[in-house]
Amino acid sequence: MNPDRLKQMTLLLVDDETEFRNTLAKRLHKRGLHSLHAPDGETCLAILAKQPVDVVVMDVMMPGISGIDALSHINKHHEATEVILLTGNANTQDGVAGIKSGAFDYLTKPVEFEHLLGKIVQAYDKIISEREQKAAKEYKARIEQQMIATERLAALGTLAAGVAHEINNPLAIINESAGYMQTVLQKKDVAEIPYRASFDKALGKIEKSVKRARTITHQLLADVGKKEQVIAEIDIQALVNETFQLIHRDAENKGIRVNLEADQNQRTLWADPNQIRQVLINLLNNAIHATDEDGVITVRLQSADMGVTLDIIDSGTGIPKENLDRIFEPFFSTKAPGEGTGLGLFVSRDIVEKFGGKLAVESKLGEGTCFRIQIPNQDRFSDDDPGLK
Amino acid sequence: MIHVPTNILLVDDEKDFVEMLSMRLEDAGDKVTPAYDGSMCLEKLKKTPIDVVILDIKMPGMDGIQVLREIKSRYPLIEVILLTGHGTTETAVQGMKLGAFDYLLKPADFEELKKILDRAKKRKTEQDERIRKAEVRQLLRKGGNI
Repeated sequence: MNPDRLKQMTLLLVDDETEFRNTLAKRLHKRGLHSLHAPDGETCLAILAKQPVDVVVMDVMMPGISGIDALSHINKHHEATEVILLTGNANTQDGVAGIKSGAFDYLTKPVEFEHLLGKIVQAYDKIISEREQKAAKEYKARIEQQMIATERLAALGTLAAGVAHEINNPLAIINESAGYMQTVLQKKDVAEIPYRASFDKALGKIEKSVKRARTITHQLLADVGKKEQVIAEIDIQALVNETFQLIHRDAENKGIRVNLEADQNQRTLWADPNQIRQVLINLLNNAIHATDEDGVITVRLQSADMGVTLDIIDSGTGIPKENLDRIFEPFFSTKAPGEGTGLGLFVSRDIVEKFGGKLAVESKLGEGTCFRIQIPNQDRFSDDDPGLK
Repeated sequence: MIHVPTNILLVDDEKDFVEMLSMRLEDAGDKVTPAYDGSMCLEKLKKTPIDVVILDIKMPGMDGIQVLREIKSRYPLIEVILLTGHGTTETAVQGMKLGAFDYLLKPADFEELKKILDRAKKRKTEQDERIRKAEVRQLLRKGGNI
């Protein structure tokens, strides 16, 4: 028990016996626990309406609202609050009813102090662990949202690049054709043709419109190309462990073990941690998806002066040869419609290559798949090195 | 000033584009040889004397960057101008690192293309000239030894 941690707890004692409340509060105070008081259920609910309370210790038999009624109100309106009920010796069925309607536990009066204290600590531990789980869940949801945003942006980029290419080419033909006609009109022998001025005007309009369309396609690409990124020094092993936290529940649900094998050279890496994490999440999610119950996923981390190599090895179904060439294509997916965007690997490869690295795959049907991420060190991270391009 | 015709090899899988740009360039006094893919480009280079290649980056089969590597390893003196309809300049920059003279985004401004062509031609001519002079010096030196 960490006494400092318990000081953060808000405790509320509800009992119509003032004497009992005061004695209990005094003993709790000696152990470093401060408590609020309420002589009845009404006051208890009034306090709860004004401020959040972690643990309520409440007598069942009280004038006015009974402890059980107060409990059901608390359950409905203050989900995060845990309630410990105190019942008279002869009324254990009240306690059982209390647990059924959501009390953390019940104790019979006369209460043994250490026992009660133990229960209070347990209730508080439950609250803390729920709070942490909730925070972890929110964090995971936030990361997932970030990933979806990146993938959407990448999809848009791919689409825009395709559109730009498809439009710029005919635009170029229009441009050269109109330009040629203008050149011809400059010649002496056609200087006097009828409608000469109208031809000039029309060709001028074509030229102007081509320029306008060109600005639009180029603008579209420039906007999509803008991706904000942060470059930081990453402790790659810590990042892998952090990513494990995000996916361990999915792995556990399928009974899959996830291991990290790291060598002793703990090298750091200069890259965008959010994007590298996205690559890891993508590859690990794919591995979990491909691996059957009781399978194993191993992440092997090797670092050297040259850079970092990360293998994500699964004991899954493997990738058929005909798919192996296509898995990095945008919108290629073997998952059911709506389950995969078909952009995970496309985006992952894009990210790894942006940091001068490589993402490769090897797979054997029925044996498993290994994705290898290689990212060079910053001092070797040079555009002049064609070997890495 | 008399315009000395530049021998241009225009490589693009868009035939209409090649046709129209060729007509414009020829009208401006240059000599244009068309090619519609990478291997055709390399074939033409074997037979035709070329000063400048105008090369589309995105083509089916061999892409522009591969063709560029081939040209630069076989004919290092020929200047290459890259054309990209893709709008992204990354490949174009990569191309310049591999020895391309310059790049233009499609649709390109004709005056700009002409300016770049002139500069590329000028560099090629100067380089040819230097090589010719060096060869003459070499010959003279050999002659002196006799």
